[in-house]
Amino acid sequence: MYRVELEDFEGPLDLLLLLINRREVDIFDIPIAQITNEYLAYVQLMDSINLDGVADYIYFAALLISIKARMLLPQPEIDTEEEDFDPRQELVDRLLEYIRYKDAAETLNQQLEERSRLFTRGKASTPAEVESPEKEVLVQTTIFELMNALRLVLEEAPEEETITIESQRYSIEDQSERIRRILFTERRVSFRDLVRGQARSFIVVTFLAILEMAYGHEICILNVSDENAFVIEKGELENV
Amino acid sequence: MCDNKQKASNAEVTLGMVLEALTFAAESPVSVEQICSVYAEVTASDVLPNEEAVEEAVENLNASFEQEGRALRIQYWAGGLRMATTATVAPFLEAFFQREQARRLTRPLMETLAIIAYKQPSTKVEVDAVRGVDSGYAIRKLLSLDLLSIIGRADVPGRPILYTTTDRFLEEFGLNDIDGLPNLRQAEELLGDANFDQERLHLLMPNGLDDNGQSRANNSSDDQATA
Repeated sequence: MYRVELEDFEGPLDLLLLLINRREVDIFDIPIAQITNEYLAYVQLMDSINLDGVADYIYFAALLISIKARMLLPQPEIDTEEEDFDPRQELVDRLLEYIRYKDAAETLNQQLEERSRLFTRGKASTPAEVESPEKEVLVQTTIFELMNALRLVLEEAPEEETITIESQRYSIEDQSERIRRILFTERRVSFRDLVRGQARSFIVVTFLAILEMAYGHEICILNVSDENAFVIEKGELENV
Repeated sequence: MCDNKQKASNAEVTLGMVLEALTFAAESPVSVEQICSVYAEVTASDVLPNEEAVEEAVENLNASFEQEGRALRIQYWAGGLRMATTATVAPFLEAFFQREQARRLTRPLMETLAIIAYKQPSTKVEVDAVRGVDSGYAIRKLLSLDLLSIIGRADVPGRPILYTTTDRFLEEFGLNDIDGLPNLRQAEELLGDANFDQERLHLLMPNGLDDNGQSRANNSSDDQATA
């Protein structure tokens, strides 16, 4: 349940904004103890499911903890001349700065959308972009459908004869590299072609590499009708 | 090129006609200077038409387009002039080109682009600091989309790369120049804005600004964890 939610956050600042927003508290008076606990709970959860993303969250985890610690300490006698220094200041400043650019991003996005409704001849004269030889659609493929494609290809794969325990022969990194090399020359390649005649372990690792690359937006996965296995293509489908 | 006969007939060609023809034929914005110099060269006139004359011609052309109920307008984009269709006919063009929705960038790309657009020239460190996450991928992607370019290195330790937005950015976002960017709003103003929570909600929506490719990729990895 939470996992899906976690993937939706772009980063630690989004998580903080959401936690603050959910509690409907004033951004200038953040209840640090509560927010810190909730934040850390999320980070722990993230850590257990997705190690990669956690690194970005560590800085703010440390910042929150240090603010919490400073707020627990008794306030030293402060010179009445000086303004009270709120340990939360850095956090608030960064959140406010982020909010400003999020707003700017939203405004720019609207501008892009409005502008893209005005067509120019340069664009209009290149309908080749839209043309495609086969009718294919970008489908909202689920992992289950992809797994099914994997199963079908695996069934065709020759049995691996020897059963020896050895260190993994294929790594996701190597397979990603191989896919990159292939996509360097080919515009697109089908999963079936990628693993034709290969052993099961090779197929599985290639499959994992594809998922990894798709997640990193390096490639996109397309389904061509009347074919069991899917097709991958370099880049993500962005129209700009 | 220009014999006398041509010159004679050229005399009937107004600056407005040249403007219309060039912006129709060109596949990128045509600068006012280009229009002036082309006009002067072909008409062999000693007097270059000036900027004001071109601006006036743009105004007149747009006015007559509007009066005649035409679907075209001349726009000031990326420091030049460009002929484009009006927003009112957009649905027909979208249907013709089978484009389902307006062009979009993903949220990380949009945020990164906004930060660099307002702070330019800017470095990756600055972008990372505002967003709280590594923006290396977003910057590379924006470079490959020709929305950002590298203009050099900052004269500080580490000599980080400096990024700016491109003319392509201006054109894609319908801006004449960088000064045309809407003002960056103050955070206080945003927090006081009743619409802001709604806006933020929209920004926080998982696939709010994503294209299909992205949300599919996200689904895959979510489910991967489940599987």
